[in-house]
Amino acid sequence: MRRFVPDRVWIARGELETPVARSVQTRYAGPIEVFDGDAPVRPVSVSDGKRELVLQRHRGAFLRHCPAGTAGLVCCNYLVVNLASNCPMDCSYCFLQDYLADAPALTAYTNVEDALAEIDAVVRAHPDRTFRIGTGELSDSLALDPLTDLSRLLVPFFAARRNAVLELKTKTDCVDTLLALDPGGQVVVSWSVNAAAVVERDEAGTAPLADRLAAAHRVQQGGYRVGFHFDPLIEFDGWESGYTAAVDAIAGAVDPATVAWISLGSLRLSPGMTQALGRRAAPSHAQATEVVSGADGKARIWRGLRLRMYRLLVERLRAALGEVPLYLCMESPGVWARVMAEVPTDRALGLRLAAGATW
Amino acid sequence: MSEAAVRAYAVEKHFGSATLSRWLAYPPADRDALLELAVQLRLGENQLRDVLDDVGAIVARRGGGVTGLLSDEAVRGAVARSPGRNPAIRALKQALRRLRYPQLSNAEQRLAELGRALRLPAGVRVELPENLDGDAIALTLRGRTAGELRAQARAAAACLQGEALDEMFAVLEGLR
Repeated sequence: MRRFVPDRVWIARGELETPVARSVQTRYAGPIEVFDGDAPVRPVSVSDGKRELVLQRHRGAFLRHCPAGTAGLVCCNYLVVNLASNCPMDCSYCFLQDYLADAPALTAYTNVEDALAEIDAVVRAHPDRTFRIGTGELSDSLALDPLTDLSRLLVPFFAARRNAVLELKTKTDCVDTLLALDPGGQVVVSWSVNAAAVVERDEAGTAPLADRLAAAHRVQQGGYRVGFHFDPLIEFDGWESGYTAAVDAIAGAVDPATVAWISLGSLRLSPGMTQALGRRAAPSHAQATEVVSGADGKARIWRGLRLRMYRLLVERLRAALGEVPLYLCMESPGVWARVMAEVPTDRALGLRLAAGATW
Repeated sequence: MSEAAVRAYAVEKHFGSATLSRWLAYPPADRDALLELAVQLRLGENQLRDVLDDVGAIVARRGGGVTGLLSDEAVRGAVARSPGRNPAIRALKQALRRLRYPQLSNAEQRLAELGRALRLPAGVRVELPENLDGDAIALTLRGRTAGELRAQARAAAACLQGEALDEMFAVLEGLR
């Protein structure tokens, strides 16, 4: 895939000497502006906000519970640490279009040491627990890495901790820095994957599926565990063969023995996201899929079709990869029972994923 | 017709700027086809917004343009055959829903057939989750006396012994 190169980089004056800012200044050949106070970047939309990169401190807490842990849904007790906001890629279904509508500037935070201190305090306070912590909620975990070199700070930090696992979630193939680092068994590099037709039509600027899987193979060779997220599953004409082919491609690219987990989640759209999809110029599979509004106000693929999709994926994944840990993201106990033949507690699910156990 | 005609219609119906912008974003031929439909059915803003949502999703699925979709017999015919504005708007919504949700519509149709196959007594109704987004099927029994209600329940219970009920749950669970 083509590496992301912003039109311009803005750096807060007081952050120029931070590792992230220094790395960007070394690696970026385009115009760099230094600013005082608030960043003078005023993108009018999330899409507009992707063109320029801001480097500044993050004020407030970094670590929080994954917002997918909504009441009434089975939750995997995942924590997210937001070291960037917005993403250079442009997926049709991306919730950031709605979530970041009021603060859409693509931003990498420079006070990474504060984030690491926060994580350190939490994992030290609970030595009996194992934490799964991801950086891929408000941005792609690796898309900015060729500029920021952030993984060089994160991987050694987690490699040195026995009760915390870092998940780097991406749609890129930007793994070169990772290959020079030792993850110590504490880092999972995971890919958001989809049927090739969805990748092509709905995931602008991302690496093709084959490139993602080639990168997965490389990091596995480099000692990392890998993960995959079929999320969002999108129904389209030919979805059965499309997703079967994606599963087969994964099985052909990686060793199941070090697959940490695979999640399945169906397309879900808030009312704001439904509007954002309607405003996009290019038609997408996400716009066309058969979603209906649910009791929580979010639109999802209607239940019977969703169950059919999950069953096919679980069956194909089990056949191709054996007993790798599988879980559903943001699904109800009822759907879990139908698809997985069990309803784990949130705690049990989190523990099993942290332990890499299957069921 | 023209952009001016679309704007005039939007002003007349007090449309918000977001709806108007969405409408004007279509190519001229599609814009005009929507205007023709809006004028014919005197569509209000919410109704037009629903139509825009549906046609956007259908065109994204099938390809082609809005003009072709609105001249499709399934849409045009449903509107033309309906007597009066309100029935025509309902028919339009139903026709668009069938095109937007082909698998859901097929499942709903199959469930309706199976519901009829149960041969429930008069007064007993099958209730399905809205948009089939649930796992429960309910029966409503209505009696004006204890004896009438007991009789309804016995008759309904007998009707539920056949395979049609199992098949209904299978459809609801996505197994058919």
